[in-house]
Amino acid sequence: MTATPARTPRRPLRGVRAGALGRRVAGAVLLVAVALLLSAGPASAHVVPSSVLQLDLHADRVDGDLLVPATDLATASGLPLVGQDGAGAPVDAETADAVAGYLTDNVAVTSDAGDWEVRVSDVATTTTEQYGTGTFPAVTADVVLVPPAGADVHRFELDYDAVVHQVVTADAYVVLRSDDTGAVVAGDLPASLGTVTVDTVTGTIPALQVDLTADTGGGSRAGFPEMVALGVSHVAEGTDHQLFLLTLLLPAPLLAAAGRWRATVPARRTVRRITGTTLAFTLGHSATLALGALGLPVPGRAVEAAIAVSILVAAAHAVRPLFPGREPLVAGVFGLVHGLAFAGTLSGLDLSGGELVRGLLGFNVGIELAQLAVVLLVLPPLVVLARTPAHRRLRVAAAVLTGVAATGWLLDRVGVDTPLAGAADRLGPASPWLAGLLWVTAVVVLARARTGSVPPPAPVGGHDVPLAGSAR
Amino acid sequence: MNPRVPTTSLAASAAVLLSLGLVGCGSGDSGDSSSASTSASATSSPATSGSGDVVALAEAFAATLDEEQAAALQQDYTFANASNWSNLPDALLTGGGGAAPGGGTPPSGAAPSGGAPSGGAPSGGAPSGGAGSASSTGRVGLQTDSLTDEQWSALEDLLAGVTGSAADEGFDEILQHLAADDYLADNGGGDDYGRGDYFIAFLGEPSDSGTWELQFGGHHLAVANTYVDGALAGATPSFRGIEPLGTVEQDGETVQPEQQEQAAFAALLGSLDDDQLAAAQLSQSYGDILLGPGNDWAFPETSEGLVGSELDDEQKALLLAAIATYVGDVDDADAETILAGYEGELDDTHVAFSGTSSVSEVGDYVRIDGPSVWIEFSLQNGIVLDGAHLHAVWRDKQSDYAGLTS
Repeated sequence: MTATPARTPRRPLRGVRAGALGRRVAGAVLLVAVALLLSAGPASAHVVPSSVLQLDLHADRVDGDLLVPATDLATASGLPLVGQDGAGAPVDAETADAVAGYLTDNVAVTSDAGDWEVRVSDVATTTTEQYGTGTFPAVTADVVLVPPAGADVHRFELDYDAVVHQVVTADAYVVLRSDDTGAVVAGDLPASLGTVTVDTVTGTIPALQVDLTADTGGGSRAGFPEMVALGVSHVAEGTDHQLFLLTLLLPAPLLAAAGRWRATVPARRTVRRITGTTLAFTLGHSATLALGALGLPVPGRAVEAAIAVSILVAAAHAVRPLFPGREPLVAGVFGLVHGLAFAGTLSGLDLSGGELVRGLLGFNVGIELAQLAVVLLVLPPLVVLARTPAHRRLRVAAAVLTGVAATGWLLDRVGVDTPLAGAADRLGPASPWLAGLLWVTAVVVLARARTGSVPPPAPVGGHDVPLAGSAR
Repeated sequence: MNPRVPTTSLAASAAVLLSLGLVGCGSGDSGDSSSASTSASATSSPATSGSGDVVALAEAFAATLDEEQAAALQQDYTFANASNWSNLPDALLTGGGGAAPGGGTPPSGAAPSGGAPSGGAPSGGAPSGGAGSASSTGRVGLQTDSLTDEQWSALEDLLAGVTGSAADEGFDEILQHLAADDYLADNGGGDDYGRGDYFIAFLGEPSDSGTWELQFGGHHLAVANTYVDGALAGATPSFRGIEPLGTVEQDGETVQPEQQEQAAFAALLGSLDDDQLAAAQLSQSYGDILLGPGNDWAFPETSEGLVGSELDDEQKALLLAAIATYVGDVDDADAETILAGYEGELDDTHVAFSGTSSVSEVGDYVRIDGPSVWIEFSLQNGIVLDGAHLHAVWRDKQSDYAGLTS
């Protein structure tokens, strides 16, 4: 088919699709969120740009990034945001103030505690693109929503009608982008909090009821599995908890004598030690987790610093036996400290009664599962390697490395900024590779031992591999 | 609280790898574009038949299909399938999944209870979470890119049997529509557009007893004829949009698809005096139609605008003529019956508009809201081309989906 050239092609629509989205770095995060929402949304998803409000939940406030299509905003506010040609016009200070004022007037947040403070700042213009829309001019602004002092940030009513009060076919997607409080499992982010749109039947704009406590607290809706998942992710993502336990278990296959780690103990005894230490850690942190979740105040910063100390102590013990045979006791005592940190996560959810019991149980089960997985993953190769001369180097290198990381965390947590903490944090992503290296090395050692052709490997054998891996 | 470091466990990395793989597959699928199959465009002579012959035409079309095609054609008669229409090209409906970042899972059911994502009809206030709209799965039915010339010909016979015979309306309008979408494909739209990206579906078995729906749609087009015991029981929701909003060559002739609707609305508004215009003008702005796909059974409880009893006879004739540009898309006999019903309700039918009364600018919007009839017409920014393009829907407050509500 041919056509009279009445119209000029503006752009290939293909450019709007996924491949092109990534090109706009500035808008990438937004686009991803919008693409997610639109693609998961109704078949009615349209190619008209939408407003997007992305929220970041903090303990004492909610921050937001707001994006509003400039044409709609101009229509609704009467402000000069779009030029004659439909392109976005830069905003001067006066217009920016007017936009902030308009947005402040059209965003209201309330909760049981009363009205929240709404602050809008940093109004700017940009050009962006959403799924299927092509590029369009937009206005961006920073939003800060502050509840009355001490009020819960997890439950509020968002009465938002910017643009929508006038452009009745417009809509605004409200997205939870991040959550410092741990109420929403990281894997569920970004999460949709709903869409602001006109109810065509009544012509009204229903306020969004945001309640993040009910969802994570369990109630009737699958709370237990979610709490288990939260526990697993807490350990999986918390390098410090893993490191403490692993470092404490490092000398488990060894016998202390005369202030040094000497010969190895039988495998059965090793397993018993590991079990005892792990169990004691569990008992310790379960106790304080329960107390903390029940309302015992948790001095967050002190707890975090104490956790760093616990790792430091475990690292020292791995180099030279400080408390041989008393590992379970030490694990139990420091478990109390780690439990307080877990409690901090749980108390952010504001559970009570049966929900609390169920949540506590689920969260703890999750922590134990993750802990068990870490132990099962790392201990078998360690037991094997303990029988080789390389174990000493491995143990000392790992302990020193851990000690350095713990020192970095400790300094960081008492307010001394060092590059160590950041470097230690980056260890985390490498941990699966380290575990893999351990296994490979252990298998090599076993294979050599089985063939019997090679005597126990010399101190400077192929077993430098895990050392190199650990040191990295 | 515990300072979270961005670490991953083995399990997490495995999950990420797995989901990346899944996303990769997904985008591969969605990137698959329909081959532009050439068709025997409009060489068949439109049959003029009443609805009694529809089953025979449907069976004749189905008989031309191979087994796989026939299986795709035949779908269940459910509200989920019936309400699964859209103004968007299918690629835009299904292409979203691949764009999801790491993990590729959309916000899940764990999303907070603060209101379901929109799209469900907010009827009665409680958003129904898009129950009817099958979202990213795209349209159901047989895609037209698989049709041979002979099959296209049988499909056109079927469409001609269920649509109006007047020039620029009904069957003629659909052919013009397909030509316009081919034009889009050739002028910047690419493979996601064109006559190969339309879908034909039989929801329920075509039969002279019982209920089934003939669904034909694609970009900017939704035909939804529901037959109960051999008679047309619902001809809506009927969506008609067009881009380009201009002239297109079709078989050597220059045609202007869906312009007579625009002209009819302009004539109607142009006939109103200042007081009438003021009464008809809406205070709010419209970037699109209100009751688009997914927003079913969500008619406003209060009608806005100028009521029909305030119109003189000439104006009423123009109102009825505007309505007829949509009703006339169904077969002539049924169109006459439906139009007569709407004519009897003209005094209670409201006319409303937003933007300018010339019905020519982006942002111009017209609504006809009667006891039964609901028509919306919206001019909005072009998507592939510069300039305005239009969205319009005809619904019926009684017989949308032949009364099926869920």
